[in-house]
Amino acid sequence: MIALWPLAVITFREGVRNRALYGITLLALLLFIANFLISGMFMQEIGKVAVDIALSAVSLSGLLLVLFVGINLMAKDLDKKTIYMVLSRPISRFQYIVGKFLGMALLIVVTMIFLSMCAMLSIEIIKLAYPNYFQRFSWPMIFLALSFSTLTMLLLSALAFLFASFTSTSFITLVLTVIAYIIGQSLSDVKALVEAPQSVGIQVSSVTVKLVQIAYYLFPNLSLFDIKTQAAHGIFLTTSYVFWVVSYGLAYITLSITCAALIFQRREFP
Amino acid sequence: MIKIEEISKEFKEGIRSKKIKALDDLSLEVHKGEVFGFLGPNGAGKSTAIKILVNLIRPDKGKAFIMDRDVNDTGVRKHIGYLPENPYFYDYLTAEELLWFGGKTTGLSSLTIKQRADELFQKVNLQGARKRQLRTYSKGMVQRAGLALSLIHDPDVAILDEPMSGLDPLGRKMVGDIILELKARGKTVFFSSHILTDIERFCDRVGIIVAGRLRLVDRLDNLLIGENRLEDTFLREVEKAGGGMET
Repeated sequence: MIALWPLAVITFREGVRNRALYGITLLALLLFIANFLISGMFMQEIGKVAVDIALSAVSLSGLLLVLFVGINLMAKDLDKKTIYMVLSRPISRFQYIVGKFLGMALLIVVTMIFLSMCAMLSIEIIKLAYPNYFQRFSWPMIFLALSFSTLTMLLLSALAFLFASFTSTSFITLVLTVIAYIIGQSLSDVKALVEAPQSVGIQVSSVTVKLVQIAYYLFPNLSLFDIKTQAAHGIFLTTSYVFWVVSYGLAYITLSITCAALIFQRREFP
Repeated sequence: MIKIEEISKEFKEGIRSKKIKALDDLSLEVHKGEVFGFLGPNGAGKSTAIKILVNLIRPDKGKAFIMDRDVNDTGVRKHIGYLPENPYFYDYLTAEELLWFGGKTTGLSSLTIKQRADELFQKVNLQGARKRQLRTYSKGMVQRAGLALSLIHDPDVAILDEPMSGLDPLGRKMVGDIILELKARGKTVFFSSHILTDIERFCDRVGIIVAGRLRLVDRLDNLLIGENRLEDTFLREVEKAGGGMET
């Protein structure tokens, strides 16, 4: 286990110095500035719009971070053969996956903390400008929404590691991760729809229902982590909901990384 | 020190998974303190054999041991220094950070890493560039950084895949000096090359591999008797094997 920390550190350093990260951060900062302009254009519910835009900007930036920096961090090891310098040290393939993920997780957490602080600053400034529109506002819910967003990115990153463990190119990993994200975001709604088609007046075959149900248990239900609406409206969540969602996220990450490591153990690097 | 027992390896290529035999029943032994030159034309299987020794690929048949431990054993790599052919490292790391990583993963203290890094940067002539990111390095500089990384933990066995490639004459002399110094300190060096003069200068024994089969292993002085040159022996073995790569 001695090798995990150095591997995590160099992965973090390589990620944090990547120019794509600066581009993503700049985009997020521009969105936070745009938040002042956009929120000011609404004559009602300014508080909800401001919170929604700020949280969405953090989520979008986090997604771009995972897709364009995270995937690249591992894919480059395979494409450019930098993995030779890692695996020729006393590091097993299992440790490689875990160490690399720890570095990526550190990068995601640090970046998300920075983006969250900027998002909260943008909300606070709008709140000072329009105090009447922030009656049902709750900082703990904003904090929770940002934490859930970070957990979503960690989960997505773990899935990207799983895909990278058996695919041959970074492009396929990227495509699979995007598909998993889209499915994960919409699966809950699709399941509700196919299980009660009569409510919208459509017919669904039993095979489709089964397929959707299988996908529901196979892919992570990312909509569980999306509490932007609740945060914008200042609606509190129960402690048990928070506990189960966090447990679900952590269990899914552990499972994905374990599977990735087990698959990776069989790989060769000619 | 290094023992390869009847190793065979095939790769599948293309959509039809056409099988390419990279190594065919390779057996070889390298003794402690020996500098062994692994010689062969392009595609002969030199890098494949080396990658099996560092467990990057696994043989279909046979086993390999280093210091009497199976190469599958992660711990054995604490004693191995490996320089890949055309090494490539993380772009945004500095050479100093690269050596820190190499030292930490082999359990060295920060102080030891600093001392070893100072010494190695001096040897590979990267003292002035040690704090620069590797993406700013030339090919030769990357090669020298790779050599420093492979030796940071003072390994008992150095496995160097084409260590002279991409180096200018000064760089080649520097690598030669390092190999000779390792030899003087009783370390075992296993290096592949197709530059015959390098093999002649540094090696105690030579193995010639052609088309995945080991054609000859002998002491270098036995191959250089009289007018005989290593080049003659090499060309003879390649010719006997049918010219090089199997298809």
